[in-house]
Amino acid sequence: MLEIKNLHAVVEGEDIEILKGVNLKVNAGEIHAIMGPNGSGKSTLSKVVSGHPEYEVTEGQILFEGEDITELDADERAHLGLFLAFQYPVEVPGITNKTLLREAYNTIARANEREELDPLEFEDYLESKLDVIEMKDEFLSRSINTGFSGGEKKKNEIFQMAVLDPKLSFLDETDSGLDIDALKIVSDGVNKIAGPEKAMVLITHYQRLLNYIKPDFVHIMMGGKIIKTGDFSLAEQLEAHGYDELQKEFSLNGAQ
Amino acid sequence: MSEVLQKETMLSYIDGKVEPKGTSISIRAINERGREELESTPFPTRKDEDWRFIDLKSITKNTFVSVEEAGTEEVGDISNHFLPEAMNTRLVFVNGIYNEELSSISDLPNGVIVGNLADNTDHDSVKSHLGTITNYENDVFAPFNDAAFSDGTFIHVPEETVVEAPIHILNVFTDAEKAFYATPRLLYVGEMFSKSTIIEEHIGLSNNVYLNVPVTEFKMFTGSNVHHARIQRDSKQASHVSRPIAMLDKNAEYHSYTICLGAKLFRNEPRVIQNSEEVDFTVDGLVLIDGDQIADTHSIMDHRYAHGKSHQLHKCVVNDSAHSIFNGKIFVAKDAQKIDSFQENRNLLLSEEGKVNTKPQLEIFADDVLCSHGATIGQLQDEEVFYLQSRGLTEQKSRELLVYAFALESVESMEVESVEKLLLDEVIKYTNRDDK
Repeated sequence: MLEIKNLHAVVEGEDIEILKGVNLKVNAGEIHAIMGPNGSGKSTLSKVVSGHPEYEVTEGQILFEGEDITELDADERAHLGLFLAFQYPVEVPGITNKTLLREAYNTIARANEREELDPLEFEDYLESKLDVIEMKDEFLSRSINTGFSGGEKKKNEIFQMAVLDPKLSFLDETDSGLDIDALKIVSDGVNKIAGPEKAMVLITHYQRLLNYIKPDFVHIMMGGKIIKTGDFSLAEQLEAHGYDELQKEFSLNGAQ
Repeated sequence: MSEVLQKETMLSYIDGKVEPKGTSISIRAINERGREELESTPFPTRKDEDWRFIDLKSITKNTFVSVEEAGTEEVGDISNHFLPEAMNTRLVFVNGIYNEELSSISDLPNGVIVGNLADNTDHDSVKSHLGTITNYENDVFAPFNDAAFSDGTFIHVPEETVVEAPIHILNVFTDAEKAFYATPRLLYVGEMFSKSTIIEEHIGLSNNVYLNVPVTEFKMFTGSNVHHARIQRDSKQASHVSRPIAMLDKNAEYHSYTICLGAKLFRNEPRVIQNSEEVDFTVDGLVLIDGDQIADTHSIMDHRYAHGKSHQLHKCVVNDSAHSIFNGKIFVAKDAQKIDSFQENRNLLLSEEGKVNTKPQLEIFADDVLCSHGATIGQLQDEEVFYLQSRGLTEQKSRELLVYAFALESVESMEVESVEKLLLDEVIKYTNRDDK
């Protein structure tokens, strides 16, 4: 579904390279976790894949279902079925969740030559998705993330994911700032959405999210590269020994 | 060169004489007073502090004639501009001249007058208050209106009377062979504990050059309450210089909301004067401009007595090479303690060429007050645009939605449903231009 080949990226207009040759392959039905210390480039990877204009790809390719999407705008990638759950969801006062989601849903439907939903149909559709994340319907009429608590914002990201029904989702530190109850609700939501047609990439600092969402693959990212790939045991190993040990191993290998 | 300019007066840009036209003694007296001031007051230049940022070329490069000499077009059907909430509370002025046929006044509560000034010059309130509230020093525009008007709007709401339906004062301007001037005038007198909503609208029906110089005077007695919405949708070639002023007695409430969409040159100088203790007022504004439009608001919130509360939220969206100017003065006199005044000017700049000047100006002589102000100039946040775009919205649509959201708060204070709807349509029109 997704294939990232030797991806290099810089902040637009600056020389500092943040991604230094990332390779990653994600197939339908798979859940991947990318772990790594702060500043390793995990969040940047998710932004570059979803088309953030702040970054410039200097080398390499991003293929989605065989199509090169490296140069596409963020909205075009969303139309193809990509989704990013933000680490810091943006507050947009004055636009309700409902307005955004209907506009987004119908734009994606148009781009894929599917039928759009009128306001009433869309209302029903939204209601049917509220359960995924145990969301109260009053959220729908509130301005996007405005005045939401940290947990509510993260839940809202997963709700948007449920409504827009993407093929591939990047979840950027969705677990950070969640208490244990919220973490369970969010993980349950993600598990409900996951399926054989879908793929997920969880970006996280800690193992705790992975206790609720079992990844098929765990990747360790450091210094702008994926330096190690394994199964769930790799996450456990990390939790036990921390990143320091890996960092040493990494340096000894002379990769940086 | 500058010395020559100093000697120009308003009359330099008027073709023909501005002769007193008032048919009553009271209006003629104001005409004559205005005429004298006009002759002795120099037209403003950029050397004057209050006119430093504004380019008045749209006025000075033209010569304006009176409506009678302009060869104006017939007004035609304007019923699409009527508000359903005000079908029986509407006064219409075409090019500044009262049009009885298009106006519709009935079903008003006992004693309420909504009519034209010329037919009400014998009313005690007109005699006592007309022309007494404006106090613009070294000004040429209020005196120009004083000198040239012969009619206008008169609204009188008696004691303890509430007018439920909004009163719609609709000023429309038609196409004409020559550039002309118009001087709409409004006198509102709210007696003790009266209440009403005024929708003052200016609409250019064509795209012609004219000069619109309205003066509105609000005399608010004890405990009276007015919600005053002003919607400026003049022709994009027009110049509009307005002087809305309100004088508030004890416990009076005056809330004004000015929406600026039209005119090539807009200069608005709202003033609210606290004439007794414990008043409450609002001087909000929303400016949406593009092309080469200039919109300049110079406001004064004049607290002269203790225990006043005032609020000003002035929002501007500027695109292309448009230019927005804001100078908000808050005065608090020496003995005016316990004033609670808040001012905020927020500017959203959508283009590289657009320009914003903002200057909050607080002059506070009392020591026990709560006055705050803030001014921001910003662009749409990239993070916000990206967030919406990542959900599938095009970049254009994302920007539109964000501008819409920025303007929404001001639109929602209109309180009249059809007006909110027409403004939302205007906001969509503004953000959804063809050149995207």
